[in-house]
Amino acid sequence: MNSFISKQFPMNTMSRRLLRMLWPLIVVPLTAPALAADAVAAPSTAAADASSGAAAPAAPAADATGTTRSLDEGIQNLKKDVVDLNKDLFVLEEELLFPANTQVAVFVSMDVGDFFALDSITLKVDNHDVSNYLYTPREVAALLKGGVQRLYVGNLKSGDHELVAFFKGKGPHERYYQRAASIHFEKGVGAKYLELKITDHERAQQPEFEIKDWE
Amino acid sequence: MSGRRYAFALGLALAALALAPAQAARKSDRDKLPSIRVQDLHYGEVLFQFYSGQELQALTELEAFSQWQRMPHHSADADLLAGGLYLQLGMHNEAGARFERLLSNNVPAGVRNRAWFYLAKIWYERGYYERAEQAIGRIQGPLGGELDAERVHLLVNALMRQQRFDDAIALLKGWRGSSDWMAYASFNLGVALVRAGRLAEADPILSSVGTLNTDSAELLNLRDKANLALGFAYLQADQSDKARIPLERVRLNGPYSSRALLGDGWARAALGDYRGALTPWLELRQRNLLDAAVQESFLAVPYAFGKLNAGAQSADYYERALSSFASESDNLDGAIGHIQEGHMLDELLGEDKDARYGWFWQLKALPNAPQSRYLYAVLADNDFQEGLKNYRDMSYLSSTLRHWDDSMQAFAAMIETRQRAYAERLPRADALLGSDRPAKLRDRRAAVGSQLDAVETGNDAPALGTPDERAQWGNVARLEEQLAAVPPSLERDAARDKLRLIKGVLYWRLDAAFKARDYEQRRSLRELDAALEELQNRWVRVQQARQTVPNDTGEFAARIAALAERIHSVRERLAQASEQQNQYLESVAEAELRAQKQRLDAYALQARFALADIYDRGADQGQGATAPAPPPAPSPVPEPK
Amino acid sequence: MRLKHPFVKISGLRHWALCALWLAGAAHSSAAETGLIARPAPDFALPAAVGNNVRLSEYRGQPVVLSFWSSRCSLCAAQLTALDRYYGTYRSSGLVVLAVSVEDDPQRAVDYARSHATSFPLLLDQTKLVSRAYGIERLPTTVLIDRSGVVRYLHSDDRAGDPSYVAQIRALLDDTLGAP
Repeated sequence: MNSFISKQFPMNTMSRRLLRMLWPLIVVPLTAPALAADAVAAPSTAAADASSGAAAPAAPAADATGTTRSLDEGIQNLKKDVVDLNKDLFVLEEELLFPANTQVAVFVSMDVGDFFALDSITLKVDNHDVSNYLYTPREVAALLKGGVQRLYVGNLKSGDHELVAFFKGKGPHERYYQRAASIHFEKGVGAKYLELKITDHERAQQPEFEIKDWE
Repeated sequence: MSGRRYAFALGLALAALALAPAQAARKSDRDKLPSIRVQDLHYGEVLFQFYSGQELQALTELEAFSQWQRMPHHSADADLLAGGLYLQLGMHNEAGARFERLLSNNVPAGVRNRAWFYLAKIWYERGYYERAEQAIGRIQGPLGGELDAERVHLLVNALMRQQRFDDAIALLKGWRGSSDWMAYASFNLGVALVRAGRLAEADPILSSVGTLNTDSAELLNLRDKANLALGFAYLQADQSDKARIPLERVRLNGPYSSRALLGDGWARAALGDYRGALTPWLELRQRNLLDAAVQESFLAVPYAFGKLNAGAQSADYYERALSSFASESDNLDGAIGHIQEGHMLDELLGEDKDARYGWFWQLKALPNAPQSRYLYAVLADNDFQEGLKNYRDMSYLSSTLRHWDDSMQAFAAMIETRQRAYAERLPRADALLGSDRPAKLRDRRAAVGSQLDAVETGNDAPALGTPDERAQWGNVARLEEQLAAVPPSLERDAARDKLRLIKGVLYWRLDAAFKARDYEQRRSLRELDAALEELQNRWVRVQQARQTVPNDTGEFAARIAALAERIHSVRERLAQASEQQNQYLESVAEAELRAQKQRLDAYALQARFALADIYDRGADQGQGATAPAPPPAPSPVPEPK
Repeated sequence: MRLKHPFVKISGLRHWALCALWLAGAAHSSAAETGLIARPAPDFALPAAVGNNVRLSEYRGQPVVLSFWSSRCSLCAAQLTALDRYYGTYRSSGLVVLAVSVEDDPQRAVDYARSHATSFPLLLDQTKLVSRAYGIERLPTTVLIDRSGVVRYLHSDDRAGDPSYVAQIRALLDDTLGAP
């Protein structure tokens, strides 16, 4: 028993055991932006000290890794199937509702330097209201970054048509502005694409609005 | 396993990639040429969805527009973006395939470099460190912005995984990047060196991280970790004097404070100062018992008392440790029971945690309930976090498909209506188309044309006369015949003269009008021709439409049916996978709790041995070992307070 | 089920009238109730009385409490107050609260918004398109939408004080609603 006392928590065993146990807690790095410095957790490499009983959960961990891998692969495949399905559905919907020979699509792009808060765009085709879109800050930011929004898709017969677009927004110095632009276009065979371009007008310090016909 | 670790960094990377077109939009950058200009509207729409945070929609459109070939100017960009999106949505296998497609020569260098970079990340994550290193080696030139720092960081890690620490050190020493990345890279390197037994080299590196001047919460944590790692490394190497310096730098109110306190105590104990060791250990002892360091302190304190020959206090603390461990162990049993019954989320959280709901979903800090602290370690586990993200992903994907479910019904109805309409109209259309009326009309037109030609050639003025005139002309012609048959006589001659006169007048009138009438007829024919032409065009269009019609609706109906079936089966698979994921999460949580329990039990065992030892010793010596100051207590076994 | 109005002091007669109204309401289930539950919530974008336009689908991933109200409806005021409290409590957990005003005169809604300041957006549905999409027949009506954008609960009355209401909000936050 006495000899056991001297063995009680001898510094080295204790600290060694402690270190073994605590290494994963010490060395696991933070997530971002540390790139997977999952300096492999020590427990799997350290020989388990029988008397310590501070069992590094080596066994469950190994199982978990195996399970994780096959589950993960299965989930990846499933996700891919969902993406494929989503794509096929998207394709079906557009081919069904807006076949190429009658399709007309209107896009919106913004290329402005100072900040313009676009509030809404209203579209009329041949004097019918076809779209009234409200913009959120997130969407405006997406446009400013260079995204081009497909605002509207519809069907039109071959021949001459007119598109009128009204847009409302807020410019620098909290000034409100309202503009309109229009275009006559010929719908032939094949899809027709029109682009509403919001650009800077340097001198006038306000946005300009033009419509481009992508022949 | 850690597929999501770099999702955040990837987000940055993609943002950097995606911000390039935005440069065209900034006033200050008007002189700079943008690296990517949107030349196809539909690619722009994909970018719009991506910038709006609609990643699944962006990917869906990207694939659809590719299929329709609507982005001819952006095929490399599209592949790169698709790869990035697949990666961000947790499909690294698919992402890898996309990036590999981009490695051919006829792809712009910038794109190819990025593809190599992302591939390196994917290979690193899968454990192919050498391949990751080689992939990085294939990158020629700067990647731009954050990506270059990340590239170095990735390379350092890949080298360390291959145990090539010297190369890693050399790389870090020769590189100057943003201090954030440097700090993490240095930390990782320092830790690796320690594990490789190269403490002397690790010291300056970890110390530099440990003395960082920063306000950022993340970097402060990193600083603490570096100091902790260095301190414990010295402890393990029996250089306790050196251990105290970094340990004392660890923040008292930070997340690593407990471990630092424990280590500090051990450092002092190693130097023989057991009374000094009691200071941090007693402080530690008051903290949350589920912290491993705190559990150690429950035993370290009586150990120190033992070393100070305060047997009574030592025994007292061991007793208290035993009872605390026992009750905590019971609590853990309860928690494990909850998990097994499938109530991990509900009951582990306890009641009334108003402001802390949503922790499971948002992976944020756990509520401060008594039971929920068991889950801290679980939450920190990466497998758990990955599993949780998968669970959320599948829930989201399933809801997306649910939206389509409704649409499918609408489509089917639409197709059915179309089919009915066609069923109604097609027989009529076919009858009409079969009648070949345009041909007949054209024949008649040809006949009329020939007639007019003949009239013109023969100058047949009477042919263009009015009905009255033609009737008169006919009469005249008939009378002529009759008169010719009559035998010659004076009356006959007079009649013939009169007739000749009438005929002459009539003919003169007809002849005068001939040109004008002929012109009219020609004009009329031209109008007829124009109408016939238009008729022909329309006829052709209708024929074409008729040809496509039965195929259209039939094909659509088949597609709709097939897709509806796929939706159904995929949703079933999603539900199954979610359930499996849930079970997996529960098993991870349960394993963690069991591990905690085992640790507690082991400590309890130690405490029992130590306690038994003290009592035995007290029995042997015939008196209780007592505190040094007061006189030895008469009873052999000190009463614990 | 008991009728509890902890926030509104009602005189005796009104109390009984409300009871009768409530009983009548309980028997009748609106088109909205039967049609919307467990279906994806119709997306929309509306201007706010104060602040930016709001689009519902941008909150996918967070539970949303969507409350339809009008300045003419007396119970609505209490509803909004209760919702403001919940918002304060559960906002940090990710709860989103949106109030849609069903008002002919937007100025009334704006004035009301200014005088009854809430910390969540008050949206203006002038064309009534959104309230029609949700089949709103009575006010106040509150729609509870889960993180996947699916309608889970719908209340066509003032139940904001009811404990079951809170339980529903918590369930949405934890998303413990069963298989996707």
